[in-house]
Amino acid sequence: MNPEEGSPHRASALLRRGVLVVWLACVAAAIAIAARTHYVADLSAFLPSTPSAEQSVLLDQLRSGVAARLVLIGLEGGTPAARQTASKQLAKSLRGSGAFDAVHNGDTSQFEATGKFLFEHRYLLSPAVDAQRFSVEGLKAGIDETTSLLGTPAGSLIKPVILRDPTGETIRMAEGMLPAQSPRMEGGVWVSQDGKRAVLLATTHADGADLDGQEKALAQVRESFGALKAEGVSLLVTGPASFAVGSRAKIKHEVELLALAGGVAIVGILLFSFGGSLRTLLIAVLPVACGVLAGVAAVSLAFGNVHGMTLGFGTTLIGEAVDYAIYYLIQARSRPGAPPGDGARRWTLDSWPTVRLGLWTSICGFAALLFSGFPGLAQLGLFSVAGLAAAALTTRYVYTVIAPDGAPGVGMRRRLGQAVGACSAVLPRLRWPLVAVTLVAAAALAWWPSAWHANLASLNPVGPEQIKLDEELRREIGASDNGTIVAVAAADEAGVLMQAEAAGLRLDKLVASGAIGGYESPARLLPSPATQQRRREALPEPAVLAANLAQATADGPLPARRLGAFLTDVEAARAQPTLTLASLKGTPLAAALSAQVLPGDASGGGSRPWRALLRVQPVDPAGTVEVAALRAALADLPGTHVVNIADEVSSLYARYLKEALVQALLGALAVCVLLGVHLRSWRRLLRIAQPVAASVVIVLAVMTGLGVALGILHLVGLLLAVAIGSNYALFFDQIRAQEKAQAPGTPFVVDTDTLASLALANITAGISFLLLAFSSIPVLSAVGQVVAPGIVLSLLLSAAFIPRRKR
Amino acid sequence: MRLLPRREFWPTVGLLAGLLLALALPLHARAFDLPELSRLMSQVKSGEAVFTEKRSVAMLERTLESSGRLSFSAPDTFVRETLKPRPEKVSVVGNILTLTSGNRTRTLRLDAVPEAAVMTEAIRGTLTGNRQAIERNFIANVSGQPQRWLMELVPIEPQVRDLVRSVQIAGQQSWVREVTVVMADGDRSVMSIEQVSSVRAASAPN
Repeated sequence: MNPEEGSPHRASALLRRGVLVVWLACVAAAIAIAARTHYVADLSAFLPSTPSAEQSVLLDQLRSGVAARLVLIGLEGGTPAARQTASKQLAKSLRGSGAFDAVHNGDTSQFEATGKFLFEHRYLLSPAVDAQRFSVEGLKAGIDETTSLLGTPAGSLIKPVILRDPTGETIRMAEGMLPAQSPRMEGGVWVSQDGKRAVLLATTHADGADLDGQEKALAQVRESFGALKAEGVSLLVTGPASFAVGSRAKIKHEVELLALAGGVAIVGILLFSFGGSLRTLLIAVLPVACGVLAGVAAVSLAFGNVHGMTLGFGTTLIGEAVDYAIYYLIQARSRPGAPPGDGARRWTLDSWPTVRLGLWTSICGFAALLFSGFPGLAQLGLFSVAGLAAAALTTRYVYTVIAPDGAPGVGMRRRLGQAVGACSAVLPRLRWPLVAVTLVAAAALAWWPSAWHANLASLNPVGPEQIKLDEELRREIGASDNGTIVAVAAADEAGVLMQAEAAGLRLDKLVASGAIGGYESPARLLPSPATQQRRREALPEPAVLAANLAQATADGPLPARRLGAFLTDVEAARAQPTLTLASLKGTPLAAALSAQVLPGDASGGGSRPWRALLRVQPVDPAGTVEVAALRAALADLPGTHVVNIADEVSSLYARYLKEALVQALLGALAVCVLLGVHLRSWRRLLRIAQPVAASVVIVLAVMTGLGVALGILHLVGLLLAVAIGSNYALFFDQIRAQEKAQAPGTPFVVDTDTLASLALANITAGISFLLLAFSSIPVLSAVGQVVAPGIVLSLLLSAAFIPRRKR
Repeated sequence: MRLLPRREFWPTVGLLAGLLLALALPLHARAFDLPELSRLMSQVKSGEAVFTEKRSVAMLERTLESSGRLSFSAPDTFVRETLKPRPEKVSVVGNILTLTSGNRTRTLRLDAVPEAAVMTEAIRGTLTGNRQAIERNFIANVSGQPQRWLMELVPIEPQVRDLVRSVQIAGQQSWVREVTVVMADGDRSVMSIEQVSSVRAASAPN
């Protein structure tokens, strides 16, 4: 630029100042957004946003259904009597706390209030009530059946009410409502099969997505247990609520730890390599900080919240964003005798196109995730795209203003450059052995069975011993979450209950034929309004009933003269209003129903239907339900789906994996097209693709050989490794292109500083991903395990496969 | 000759009689207890019987009568099928209790319903000679001889004892003749059993 041309100079200075102002404004805005962002940590972000009908049942269950609100409690140690007492006291204290909708420990004394309510409404609720029931024959049969229970232990339940309920509607209601499978009882409470644990099952009042509420409920359990002072008895708590709260705490803790460890390691390396200048250090972390801020702000704006996992993943962005700073600060440092600002100009001309191309390839890679049907993955994609773009733009436009001549410090980087120079001279000689290694790895991959068999549980941040304990307690309590559910849908409450009744009729046949063991239906707790009305209409006029009763009991053991209360109760029932969910509010019945009926939002203008869930039990408690038979039996009922939770969970994951695979392939294809268009040379494209592809193959082969179960996050990691690794290949290609551009015979001195910056960038990125690999959160460790070796290999293979011209 | 010894000899006679009794007693009362009864019962591998049951319930005007069939087969299957006055069926296989009444069937896990477990184990445990099952649920008191024995079972679990005071089982060799259930409120049922057939273990000594 000519110094005499004053006005363009001034204009450019103004422009620079303008750039800074815009940048500062952006940073301020991003800080403001980030500060107001809602951070979430439930796993539902990793569930699909456009599910199939079966999956949406599962998701409703996972998000807000009772499945997400379960707390499974075990009491072990101490004497059986101490455990039984502790179970009773703990249940009492939890029931009184208001934090739980239901607490079950086998103790039925709590059902007294419910029992009274049910008893008062028995003629609307009992499945036996129809017109036939109150005819002479019906009454006779009903009374016979009831009296036949007297004198047996079962009779003790009916004895106190038999004069008001001679036909035994109470028994008929109880039959339908009692769960078919409940745990072993000892001393009046539930115990495990081996009798060594007392077990309890509680449902939190807080919704599955309300982690703060869930956390409070769990704290309540610990506090109540602490107050018991049960000698020698210890508390075990598990279940989705405990998992969700535990993983949130774990994610938070690990993300902080990782950010800290990564920060310390990178600051250390930067200090080491730039000679300990604090100013340089602050400048060096600028793009990283801007990248993370931009990522958080973009995700927050687009999704309304930021998932903890995204944030944890974002710290890995340090790994790539810090590369930009290193490239610039080293490559742009001034040469002896050059005017001030020469470094920035030279870097903008020589290296920025390469960095820009690297940025585009990375964006291509991550943009694929943006279109994922899983909000969690889409967040990762957007976070990375926004973060990398912000980091690169900061480097390009802010660095050239505030650090026009790169970083002054020398530190260790000259030695590093020499060492890398020496390596880059040796590595090309290893080219053919490395090609052989790659081919062997590829052959092994083709030969070995696929290692892509991780499942949804592998995304779970909870440790395997917690999962094992959960499975144990579930088995003991009979709350297996791998069951089969018949889900029915309708527009409103009355409709969904009617649908449940219709499905129930089909299921009754399957029970009778021995195809299934039984089922639970909300319509058993609350029949549809139409059914209740039909039952009410079946109740005869007092005079008719009295006459029938007299005839039915003529020479029976229970004379009509003692059954006056029965006549009064039936008459009262004829005027009872129909029961609805609203009229049950506050009773334990409402809590039980909320587990089985999920309200829709049609009244609020939404499109989510009301849903009822009928849990189906296999004939053999240890066996499984034949889903095909169930589907066949329910085939022509509209709005009815058979959902096998275990199948759905694995199909969900399979879909998740398949989708991610397609996206990764599209991303890789986009990267290739982009490079091809930019380089306009098949040969150069191939040259750049070779080392990156080879490193992917080798990493995959090693992981498979080690027996690691590969899953979605490994795939995301590979994409990341390709995105970062291709940057190194681009730089080697740039060096080669520069060399080629020179006149033949001119001695070409490779810029050791460029090599040093590559090595340094590689080391910092490698370290930050290595830290991730040691994380105990599977999602993060999977990414680290793949990316750390992947990018180191990419650098080495780039040096080997993109050799300088032979002289 | 006098039939009775003279009065002055009576102490001697008493002593002799006492000695004789002391010698004779072990022969008769020798340990007919639960282990012995279980051994005896466990020789029968399966059997069928008919029963009639009379139940007296304080609040009813008259005694309830029912009759039907019983069958069992070792180690853990027991079926009670009532034919009169109305068909009903209770079958227990292992830990699974199936109740059939009219056209309705219900399945329960025995250990989840201690009241049902106690009734089942009293009869099934006795029939199959399962001493562990009996001792787990009851304090058992066996009296009498193999020829005519009586076992009184008192439930251990307090909650069950609130319902069932005791179960008395009377038998003759490996054959149960009568089961009396005394409820805590004084109601009682007496089931008389008549054996139809039985299969003994091939190797078991008679």
